[in-house]
Amino acid sequence: MKWSQFFNTSIGKKLLVGITGLFLCSFIIVHLAGNVQLLYNDGGKGFNTYAAFMGHNSLIQFIAWGLKIVILLHAIVAIQLTFSNRKARPVKYAVSPGNQTSSWYSRQMAIMGSILFIFIVVHLSDFWWKFHYQSLPTVSYEATGEPIKDLYTVVQFAFKESWLVVLYVIGMIALSFHLIHGFKSAFQTFGLNHVKYNGLINFVGVWLFGILIPLGFAIIPVVIFFK
Amino acid sequence: MEHYNMGLTLKVWRQKNKDDQGRFETYQVKDISSEMSFLEMFDVLNENLINEGKEPIAFDHDCREGICGMCSMHINGRAHGPWAGTTTCQLHMRAFKDGDTVTVEPWRAAAFPVVKDLTVDRGAFDRIIEAGGYISVNTGNAVDANAIPIAKDKADAAFAAAACIGCGACVAACKNSSAMLFVSAKVSQLAQLPQGEPERATRALNMVAQMDKEGFGSCTNTGACEAECPKEISLTNIARLNREFIRAGFTYEK
Repeated sequence: MKWSQFFNTSIGKKLLVGITGLFLCSFIIVHLAGNVQLLYNDGGKGFNTYAAFMGHNSLIQFIAWGLKIVILLHAIVAIQLTFSNRKARPVKYAVSPGNQTSSWYSRQMAIMGSILFIFIVVHLSDFWWKFHYQSLPTVSYEATGEPIKDLYTVVQFAFKESWLVVLYVIGMIALSFHLIHGFKSAFQTFGLNHVKYNGLINFVGVWLFGILIPLGFAIIPVVIFFK
Repeated sequence: MEHYNMGLTLKVWRQKNKDDQGRFETYQVKDISSEMSFLEMFDVLNENLINEGKEPIAFDHDCREGICGMCSMHINGRAHGPWAGTTTCQLHMRAFKDGDTVTVEPWRAAAFPVVKDLTVDRGAFDRIIEAGGYISVNTGNAVDANAIPIAKDKADAAFAAAACIGCGACVAACKNSSAMLFVSAKVSQLAQLPQGEPERATRALNMVAQMDKEGFGSCTNTGACEAECPKEISLTNIARLNREFIRAGFTYEK
């Protein structure tokens, strides 16, 4: 089987979705670790220095563009699979089993993913676009010397808007359910289903990626809103 | 358990042939024994229909002991009805109460066209098996049964996968109409044994290619198939199929 054929089979496509999905999982750990600095009581020094570093380091910029391609690849292949899955059942059942045979969030990966995609577009246009392509007020710190863009203040200002905070919380709820199923599902797709590791995979998927990380992200806009 | 009789309202899918649109018809049955099987209840209903000069409901059945995999009925939203690990013929009427309304539909999948009423064509499964679900052996005397040592746990796992009766409940239960549990059982029963080794790579590649060609959906690991499988085939088989397919895709030279 040629590579082109392999990645056009259902399992080949799922493999792509799984690999890109786990890459995105690794990204959100780093992203949260950086963003937690928004809650520091240092007037934005830590966060702004970090943002300036991330925005100017060429290796990180290279990965950041790769990241956007990975998000698109993950979404496009998953949408392809979703449409072919819909086509596989042209006549629906009159009575559906509901949650008797599967969890509701395992069946709603496309919906959760779509909510996340909308969230990502809003999120990027709010901060990434402004940071890179618009002129922002600058600040200077002793450690950095040159004036750097004050993204910290932009964030503090943005999260005074209640609808944006609500959107972020909804986005993170979608992320939570997407990853509770998605993380362990990726391992099953890779063929990694083993009694000795299933417990660990499930634990990491549910507690770290499904609960802790989305909760960490969601807390940031809520805290800033009420500050 | 106490024996009782019941009356039921049945909503049954009627469809003349594969090109017909199809619709639900409502029927009443009375004096149904709790000890009857679901198919025997349908026999009573069909008897009534014949006596009334109406067309009886077409449904598949053969062994009526849970091993042939023919009785493809989707009952109240569940493949083979509400009981776990059960075919329709082994579902007994004590699963229902007097006055219940029961909706009966055929398997719904593009790859399983409705032939008539509740009968579907599961020929797609046969074509997947033809694509690689076999081993090639030279003719001659039968080889001694214990000539090749096989680890007991491997033999047990292969046997558990071989319990698949090809009933299609996995496809019916899956929101994507995916046949992964079926294909994985057929691959697993051979991939774990030395006899299956020579055709291991081509088997995985060809069976998955045929599965896609037949128009089954892909697996999203919801686990609905495992919950509905009358032979309780495990999801670990799907992981094994993924492993076999990925391994073959990455290493097989053709």
